Amino acid sequence: MNIHSTMMSRSLIAAAVTAALLAGCASAPTKPAGSEEVRAKLTALQGDAALATKAPVATKDAELAVTQAEIIQPDLALAAHRVYIADRKVDTAIAEAKTKAAEDQRAMLSEQGEKARLDARTHEADLAKSDAMTARAESAEQQVAATQARSDAAAAQLAANVSEQQASELQRQLEALQARPTDRGLVLTLGDTLFATGKSEIKSGATANLDRLGDFLTEYPNRTASIEGFTDSMGSEDSNQALSERRADSVKRYLIGRGVQSQRLSSSGRGENAPVADNETTAGRQQNRRVEVVISKAEGSQGAGR
Amino acid sequence: MNSPSPSARVSRRRLRIAVPALLLFTAAWANPPIPTASLQAAQQSIANAEHVEAGTHAAAELSEARAKISAAQSAVTQKKMIEAGWLADEARAEAELAVARTSLAKANAVNADMEHSNATLIDEMQRKTGDSR
Repeated sequence: MNIHSTMMSRSLIAAAVTAALLAGCASAPTKPAGSEEVRAKLTALQGDAALATKAPVATKDAELAVTQAEIIQPDLALAAHRVYIADRKVDTAIAEAKTKAAEDQRAMLSEQGEKARLDARTHEADLAKSDAMTARAESAEQQVAATQARSDAAAAQLAANVSEQQASELQRQLEALQARPTDRGLVLTLGDTLFATGKSEIKSGATANLDRLGDFLTEYPNRTASIEGFTDSMGSEDSNQALSERRADSVKRYLIGRGVQSQRLSSSGRGENAPVADNETTAGRQQNRRVEVVISKAEGSQGAGR
Repeated sequence: MNSPSPSARVSRRRLRIAVPALLLFTAAWANPPIPTASLQAAQQSIANAEHVEAGTHAAAELSEARAKISAAQSAVTQKKMIEAGWLADEARAEAELAVARTSLAKANAVNADMEHSNATLIDEMQRKTGDSR
């Protein structure tokens, strides 16, 4: 009876153990919830070439914690605790690796900053040099401008002097021609010594005044001359008119022969109709026989100069 | 009087060893010790995190660490010493993460400042170059 009961007990135990084993085989144990995600995060860190070696101690701690978290554990609270710890260790390792990477990058940034500062200083020095050169160039330009201004002033002074000289020369020549200013312009009177009685040809040896007039008109090309012939009242009016015209024309031709452009000269006869003295006396008739040259400025010309 | 047999002497000697051990084991099982070391380590880590200004750069982690240490102390009060130990360890891990993330934030800020400074310098130089050309 005792032996039989012992055998029965052993059979029951064996059956229970077998059942337990079978039950164990039926549902394979799984890793604690969350452990795979933590492992994946750690694997990513270890596979990151930029970070893998940056925080070796923290990464090793994380590895140990993840390994612990992966242990199949019937106590779910303990398993969850280990996963929690592993997760924080992995995050800590990642943060430390990134910090180290940032610190390593700082050396490069510092080098960049030094280079930028050096470039800036070099650039400023170049600018200063360039500014100095520009200032020197400007100073030289100003000196040239000042010299030019002085030169211009001297030239203006010279021109003024020349102009004064010319004006005074003109005045002198006009005085030499014995021209008188009138409302019609400067009037030069050539007396009857130019022509023989009743003739219109200019007598040789009596042309001194005409020559001076020709020179004057050549010297002052902005001047024009109106040549007018006059006679006394001896003879017929028609013949006197014709004679006065011919005499005026003779003077005009003479001046053209002296180089004065014809378009600057005009001639006309006034006959006996504009006496300046009494035709009843010899002296008066002599004054009335004359040629007047009215000198005026050409249109659009200014001043007395050429 | 009869002297005890040798087998009886052996039995008594075994009993003298076994009883205290059993008592000790029972006492330990019935009342686990306070996880003093874990609690102290966690508090030290939190103090470190506060010292490096984790409240500014890793506020969530520091807050979580404080909540964990608080929960650990509550567990001690409730005589849940194993749970208290786990919570203290979690508080420490959280506080260490706060320190690490604070260091990272500071390092990134320094780098960003340097990058900005370099960029400003380069911009300024290029602007001057543009002005002068």
